[in-house]
Amino acid sequence: MTAEPLLSLQDLTVRFRLPQGETVAVDGVSLDLAPGEVLGIVGESGSGKSQILYALMGLLASNGRAGGRAIFQGQDLLSLTEAQLDRVRGQDVSMIFQDPMTSLNPYTRVVDQLAEGLIVHKGLSKSDARAEGVRMLDRVRIPDAARRARLYPHEFSGGMRQRVMIAMALLAKPKLLLADEPTTALDVTIQAQVLDLMAELGRETGTAIILVTHDLGVVARLCDRVAVLYGGRVMEEAQAEALFDTPSHPYTRGLLAAMPRLEAALTPRLGTIPGTPRSGGGDLPGCPFAARCTERLDHCTTIRPPLLQIAPDRRSACHLTEKTLGAAP
Amino acid sequence: MSVDVLSPETAPPRGTSTLQLQFRRFRANRLAMASVWLLALIVVSCFFGPYAFPFTGEDADFDFISAPALFQWPHLFGTDEFGRDLLVRVLEGGQVSLTIGFLGALVAGVIGVLYGAVAGFVGGRTDGLMMRTVEILYGFPYVILVILLSLLFGGGNLALFAAIVFTLWLTPAVIVRAQAQSLARREFIEAARAGGMTNTRIVLEHIVPNCMSVVIVYGSLLVPEVILSESFLSFLGIGIKEPQASWGNLISSGTSAMESDLRLLLLPGGLLALVLLCLNFIADGLRDAFDPNDR
Amino acid sequence: MLRFIGKRLWHGGLTLAALVTLTFFVMRLAPGGPFSRNRKISPEVQANIEAAFHLDEPVWQQFGRFVWGVLRWDLGPSTKHRDYSVNDLIASGLPYSLTIGFWAIVIAALVGVALGLAGALKRNSATDYLAGTVGVVGIAIPIFVIGPLFQAYFSLRLGWLPVGGITEGWRSLILPVIVLALPNIAYISRITRTSMIETLRENHVRTARAKGVGWRRVLTSHVLKGALLPVIAYLGPATAAIITGSILIETIFAVPGIGRHFVDAALNRDYPLVMGITLLYGGILILFNIGTDVVRAVLDPRIRNER
Repeated sequence: MTAEPLLSLQDLTVRFRLPQGETVAVDGVSLDLAPGEVLGIVGESGSGKSQILYALMGLLASNGRAGGRAIFQGQDLLSLTEAQLDRVRGQDVSMIFQDPMTSLNPYTRVVDQLAEGLIVHKGLSKSDARAEGVRMLDRVRIPDAARRARLYPHEFSGGMRQRVMIAMALLAKPKLLLADEPTTALDVTIQAQVLDLMAELGRETGTAIILVTHDLGVVARLCDRVAVLYGGRVMEEAQAEALFDTPSHPYTRGLLAAMPRLEAALTPRLGTIPGTPRSGGGDLPGCPFAARCTERLDHCTTIRPPLLQIAPDRRSACHLTEKTLGAAP
Repeated sequence: MSVDVLSPETAPPRGTSTLQLQFRRFRANRLAMASVWLLALIVVSCFFGPYAFPFTGEDADFDFISAPALFQWPHLFGTDEFGRDLLVRVLEGGQVSLTIGFLGALVAGVIGVLYGAVAGFVGGRTDGLMMRTVEILYGFPYVILVILLSLLFGGGNLALFAAIVFTLWLTPAVIVRAQAQSLARREFIEAARAGGMTNTRIVLEHIVPNCMSVVIVYGSLLVPEVILSESFLSFLGIGIKEPQASWGNLISSGTSAMESDLRLLLLPGGLLALVLLCLNFIADGLRDAFDPNDR
Repeated sequence: MLRFIGKRLWHGGLTLAALVTLTFFVMRLAPGGPFSRNRKISPEVQANIEAAFHLDEPVWQQFGRFVWGVLRWDLGPSTKHRDYSVNDLIASGLPYSLTIGFWAIVIAALVGVALGLAGALKRNSATDYLAGTVGVVGIAIPIFVIGPLFQAYFSLRLGWLPVGGITEGWRSLILPVIVLALPNIAYISRITRTSMIETLRENHVRTARAKGVGWRRVLTSHVLKGALLPVIAYLGPATAAIITGSILIETIFAVPGIGRHFVDAALNRDYPLVMGITLLYGGILILFNIGTDVVRAVLDPRIRNER
């Protein structure tokens, strides 16, 4: 990575206070993102992947607390006040949510929801902002955009709503787009369309994207780089191709093995890795995947494997690779 | 997380384990549990307390007319203008109010549940007709309906009871119908039908038990409503009549005497408020226990 | 929209017709009549009086007479209050009931919504607990307990306000209005709080926050509308119930409103007066229900499209 990173996560943690004690959802994640890059964060549900995005946006649930640092354009997003955050959110950083059916305001016309950000952030007049909104709807290929813009969200299908969300997120030409499983709630047949559209528009505006998903097919299709998350920790991080060609971490291998090999399958979902995913929990001494790992070593449950550089542009957190690495040179 | 063949939102056909879990959650609610105990104490005192006194609430003691509350045996809280013991009258009035309250809620609940279950399960035109009836009855001003009905049934305790039940079964019916409607489409109902179960048995053995959580929550709200209706009517002089005591008519006579003696108002009024308070806390507790997303 | 209103009005009319018909026959079926309680009067006099009120006719004929009267805006003479027509009695009582009901619901809505919002926005704060306490107390202590207590304290003990009656103008109305507002403050603040908390948790509110338009704007243009819809749904029927349910208040505070007339009329079998007030109450309730539905449809596009 030559250029200065657009976003740099440094030891990011997210903890939740619960009646039965504190739980760790994100456990010391460090990642860099270059301008214009598409980074995929993959993991099973409960791996803490969505919480990373919420932490960046200052949208954690009220019992959640983020630690560490998230440097975006020279400022730490985690230390901003709500008012300071509002100068970043919706302008430099936008977010697309998982469930398009409920993520739009049911009481407001679509065009006004699009226009709102422009009016507040850019000081546009209502009519200019609306015109801009309609233009954006056109770009996300909503047919008859001028007329549909005046409808309410419930008059749109799920796929259309997610296009509206994409339009809304990219309207301000943000530097960074956070997408939290943007297609899981959609019909299989339109998932691909929506994703391609998002990536395409992202490229046009030069927007970097963090795409959180549990769908390896989506990652293979869109992402430059991938981080595999398990139990709130990064297991492996690599260029997308390298990861799929030569997965180094046992968990990544398990994920890939569970993925249907048929190229024709539209959404290769995760199959099964034996055992239950570890979700959060308190501090764990060893590797979070140890309990389910088929290649477990004795010290896997007691000593936490560090995330090591195993090749240029490639990191992995596993005692196995540590061993081979140590043996190789 | 249990491993279940059914999707998460599909309730198992018999909700005993969930029900047990919900009651455990209820028991953990201190305010609600305190209310249960206090209510139990009030109920026991109302029904057994009067036996501790050598007279009934309708016996006049001419040596003590309008005696003040001196906490002295035998008239602990004094007497009214006829020399009747206030405490005993309030306890006996409690018997009437509480009986009507719980029995009324039970009967209204049962009618509502069955009506709603049938309407929601059968669906179609029957459902439309049944619900239109409910809608029309909802359009009736409550007060007018109760007063008219209690007149129709010729006054007296039974008439009062019937009038109250008749006006309060609507809400449980509507709620249960919605529940039954969604249940009727579930797989296990299909299975029961395919297995040759009759509709009556399906309603009684599958639909009704699966509506239990909702029914318990709303049923618990029904009790204070019935008690309030009874005392409201008795206060107006339409419900329970003198010399029989009920909290409503005791409050009413307390009101007319309040210029000289507030105690005639405070004792029955306070007890009524206490019971309503307990019942509301219990209802809140039940709702929280049965629907934890609410908070 | 017009079709929607028209349909609701038609249903409302049917309900009202059903209500009036039912009331008419229930009244006749109930034991006793308008003049059966009278002290000794000769059978001839009784017959004369009954004939004067057409009570000697068959019931269906009386019903026809009543319906015809309603169509001519004439509810007939009261059997209890001699020399007064039902129209007169309603015209004299309605202003009191309306005034008290109106102010009670306005106060209840303002205070209730304010308490509910404050509680939801600052959960577990002192305000939240205060609102909670008001909510519990307002629901648990019935009007006919708190009313007399207020009279005993504010009127008899402190002498600030009149005990009852209407002789002192607006000062006479303060206690009835406050007492009538209390339980509604309780209900409204509870509904507001719950619905506000639920709305704040909704996904579209999160989207609005992600847009960075500022918390104040998120609240005003994304939260409030959705959060207040249930309150509005409650307010309509509650207003009708307050106006028609002022029976207790009018009894406690000796206000010569419609509610008092109704109880007297029912107990004295004053058929024309009972019918008149039933018609009025039913009409008010139905109109408010329709009004609520219309307002909700205006505010919520999903409801609008449904019908």
